[in-house]
Amino acid sequence: MAPAVDPSSSPPLPTAESNLQPFYILHKASPSKSAAKTRRRIDLSPKASDGSTEICDDGNLRLETFKSLWSNTESIIKDVLKNLNANVFDEIDKWVHVSFDAIRACRSSDFSTSTRPYPIMNNASIAAVGASRQIFTALLFTKNMEFVDDILTFADLGVHLRSHGCCVANLTSLDFSAKNGVGGCLKTLLRQLLMVSIDAPDMSILASWYTEQDEKPLVIIIEDVERCCGSVLNDFIIMLREWVIKVPIILILGVATTVDALKNILSSNTYLDLSVCEFNLGTPAERMDAVLEAVLLKNCETFSVGKRVSTFLRNYFIRHDGTLTLFVRALKIAMVQHIHAEPLSFTLRKLVDEEGAKGFESDSILSRETVRKRVLDLPSLQRCCQPSADYADMLSGLSELKRHCKLWSSTVMCLYEVGKYHKITLLDLYCETLEPEPRNSSASDYTRLAKDNTISSHNHHLVGCSQSEGYVVWAFQKVRDLPPVELCKLLNRWEMLTRGTTEIHEKVKELQSLTTCEENRPKREPTESSRRPTARNRINEKTDKPTVNEKVATFLQCIVRQYIQPIESIPFNEIVFFNNVDKLQTALVGDPRRRIQTDLLESNKFLKCSCCSKNGGAPVPSMHNTSMMYSLAQEHGDLINLSEWFHSFKAIVSQPTLPAKKRPRMSPSPRKRKESNEPQNKSDATIQAEFCRAVMELQITGLLRMPSKRRPDYVQRVAFGL
Amino acid sequence: MELNDVEEEEFGFSRNYFLAKELGGSGKKSARKLSDINLVDEQELREAYANIEPKHEKEINDLVRSYKNSYSEWVGVLRCGFGLLMYGFGSKKALMEDFASTALTDYSVLVINGYLQSINLKQVAATLAELLWDQLKIQRKSTLANHPKNQQPFDTRSMDDLISFLDGPHLEDDECFVCIVVNNIDGPGLRDSETQQYLARLAACSHIRMVASIDHVNAPLLWDKKMVHTQFNWYWYHVPTYAPYKIEGMFFPLILTHTGSAQSVKTASIVLQSLTPNAQNVFKVLADHQLAHSDEEGKWMPFNNLYTICRERFLVSSQITLNAHLTEFKDHELVKTRRNSDGEDCLYIPLTSEALQKLVQEIS
Repeated sequence: MAPAVDPSSSPPLPTAESNLQPFYILHKASPSKSAAKTRRRIDLSPKASDGSTEICDDGNLRLETFKSLWSNTESIIKDVLKNLNANVFDEIDKWVHVSFDAIRACRSSDFSTSTRPYPIMNNASIAAVGASRQIFTALLFTKNMEFVDDILTFADLGVHLRSHGCCVANLTSLDFSAKNGVGGCLKTLLRQLLMVSIDAPDMSILASWYTEQDEKPLVIIIEDVERCCGSVLNDFIIMLREWVIKVPIILILGVATTVDALKNILSSNTYLDLSVCEFNLGTPAERMDAVLEAVLLKNCETFSVGKRVSTFLRNYFIRHDGTLTLFVRALKIAMVQHIHAEPLSFTLRKLVDEEGAKGFESDSILSRETVRKRVLDLPSLQRCCQPSADYADMLSGLSELKRHCKLWSSTVMCLYEVGKYHKITLLDLYCETLEPEPRNSSASDYTRLAKDNTISSHNHHLVGCSQSEGYVVWAFQKVRDLPPVELCKLLNRWEMLTRGTTEIHEKVKELQSLTTCEENRPKREPTESSRRPTARNRINEKTDKPTVNEKVATFLQCIVRQYIQPIESIPFNEIVFFNNVDKLQTALVGDPRRRIQTDLLESNKFLKCSCCSKNGGAPVPSMHNTSMMYSLAQEHGDLINLSEWFHSFKAIVSQPTLPAKKRPRMSPSPRKRKESNEPQNKSDATIQAEFCRAVMELQITGLLRMPSKRRPDYVQRVAFGL
Repeated sequence: MELNDVEEEEFGFSRNYFLAKELGGSGKKSARKLSDINLVDEQELREAYANIEPKHEKEINDLVRSYKNSYSEWVGVLRCGFGLLMYGFGSKKALMEDFASTALTDYSVLVINGYLQSINLKQVAATLAELLWDQLKIQRKSTLANHPKNQQPFDTRSMDDLISFLDGPHLEDDECFVCIVVNNIDGPGLRDSETQQYLARLAACSHIRMVASIDHVNAPLLWDKKMVHTQFNWYWYHVPTYAPYKIEGMFFPLILTHTGSAQSVKTASIVLQSLTPNAQNVFKVLADHQLAHSDEEGKWMPFNNLYTICRERFLVSSQITLNAHLTEFKDHELVKTRRNSDGEDCLYIPLTSEALQKLVQEIS
């Protein structure tokens, strides 16, 4: 069973008995754990230059780094999403209170009815209550079929309402299953509101609890109403209606599609009992952009990803998964991988925690010497500087890195502001502005292209340009063509965006003052132009009277040229920069269907054996049996005749005894045959047993469907091609 | 260009599918039977099965040993809050248990064997709660003072209570967790959606970390996006081991014994030997008829003929007793019935004549 387990290093492995138990305890936590951990740290920190303990402490250091980095990122994401939804939440909150007041008005006008022990009423009282028997219901359109993205939204909504004096319960479609019926959802409801679990749930328990809640609105949120079992939801609403006087519940239903979905689930009578009000959440693309802006742009000095990673994420978001949740998870995995792969990653903690890059200072456990060594090993440092880095150099290097990141993100945000006129998503723009290779040449290319573009056509679209260059060029052109009012607005927004970066901010302010001057004196010559880099003047020469638009465009070109530099070229970038897309992809989305087949078809690559690869992929007797069988299966159609399959398997495993001419595909060299260590004659029983094992293993992997009664002699292939 | 790749991939898949269909349909379908194989005795086969000589033992050992270098990374990922999902061809049971017993000694570890047929997750949760309770007691006695050994023992609490205990904020230090190692989370005992939901809820608890393995190529279909992204929070590792699925395959029938005629003769004779001598003789009458009539129509024996012969031989006294015997046979799939053109019930033993001869020999 355990060929690889080294008996000396591991405790005695569980015996066959434990293999047959549904579950068992392998071991309990070693009691000295926490003590040992702290002791180690105290003992060894002063002389921590010997390798082994450092590796161990390194693990803890990395974990702490990850925790601080991730908790920072996570809270940023949460805040962004909360802010995005803040308006809707406020509206809902207002509506809840208005609805509740309406209910209360009805209740007080009909006080005698509402204090009866049971709410079942005679016809007269039903007529009297009339309108109040409707259940106030908010439909919250999520505009997103992926309900996983809205789990957090609804949790936030619950928190928001609770903080505004409501009692809230969050239910999901799992609570409305046919198996548990109405009792199931009532049970969850009581569990959440009363904090008790009751075996025989009853509305009267809720009602008596509610009388103690001094007139708070009672809100039930159902997150994904389309996925609820229709009949259970129907019964639930009917039940609520009967109790509407004693327990005035307000419903909030998350709807992914349209209002019709609700009509389809509920019977028409029940639907009429709902007094519906509609609210809308933002689209997934909006949320994506907001998160991207907050995490990868505004915070890019603590963590940033390269072109390949961002392109992978964008493609996966657009084409496959479509959830923000996956994007966030990918970020998390990327951070874990980055921190585990990068020797200096602990520096990130300082970058995250506070201003100023004091990352190399040691309250850290690592010795200065180790840190120094690691710093000198950074490829970016070896490329750019003379390897004499001392602490001062490192600190200035880090702050330079930070400054660069800020400038870069400000520039991208400025471009994005222009892009909003074209409904460009930040995600696309972000991927485009990240450059895979250092771009010394293409900076001037932009200028040239921009020139060509102004001369040849005033086409605003991206026609004729390659996509990546296209956008930036288009942006320059767009700025030139903006009407003065829009330009003013754009500059105002730029002014807001660039507040953190003085270099850009001052120039924006300058331009802002220019627009106001321009309005008064349209023919004014630029006096500052001499102070600016010459590259921009090249364009200015073209037109005799550069307008403000031209200046703004020139400014934009200038900052793009200066600041959109690949982060890879900056010293110390390794500390924050992650671009290992393959590793990220394999950890994020395993591909068992393809990978398991590859394992079987190319087993010699993984096993690194010399014997099986000689034959150009054709099965040879030394191959792993299952692997050989699966290769043979590739020659069949969707049905595999077991008998034929067995015979070809047998022919191969007993190949050395067969005459060479019978199998012309196999290498017939007699030397090779001598080499193979297979026993000359395998018994029939052995071959049949091996065949059985291989079929069983293929069955476990799900690549085969077993013979049916109708087709007792065939198995069915399930996968075709990788 | 990238787009082309994707399209190529999709077309490639459908093209392969249709090619395979064509190959199966147009090419002359082979009519070779499984029984053409000269099958060895089942006993012998099982013996050989137990003693299959491993191939590439050294390479497999090297491969699995190479994963040992990743143990520290795996622990790191686990501590960062992810669940580990191991996949790739070969049994990963030994690998995962070795990982747990060498690298996870700081934490309590519970192993679930998903390849077994039935697993009671409630008991699992109760055991986890016990483990966590023990761990908490060791870690910090003071905080537990105001948390009296709870009102109720764990094994009588509801699943919801257990999950909220495992998820509860007991310590600020979130380093206190219990590990669950699930062998074959896609195995037969765990495959239904309710169990997967519970597993997902367990995996999402703050004091639980999960290490699981899958073997089936379609295993991810067990989970929706909520489970994958927010509850299990998988971090995938491709770790093919090429180790034989000895334990996982324990309950799978061997293909060459399951469908072969040898097997049917054996089971049939076991069933028949457990019946009364009269019933055995009734079966023999039927078998004799079938051996005498080899043609497609004649092999079906009309019920009345059978009844007459059986009564002559004093095997049955009435149609009711004969029917009782026949019901027994039908229940064990020893005979099949159908109506012939005259509307008469006819009987047939679904075995080849050689198998039938062997069977008759065995029971007489």
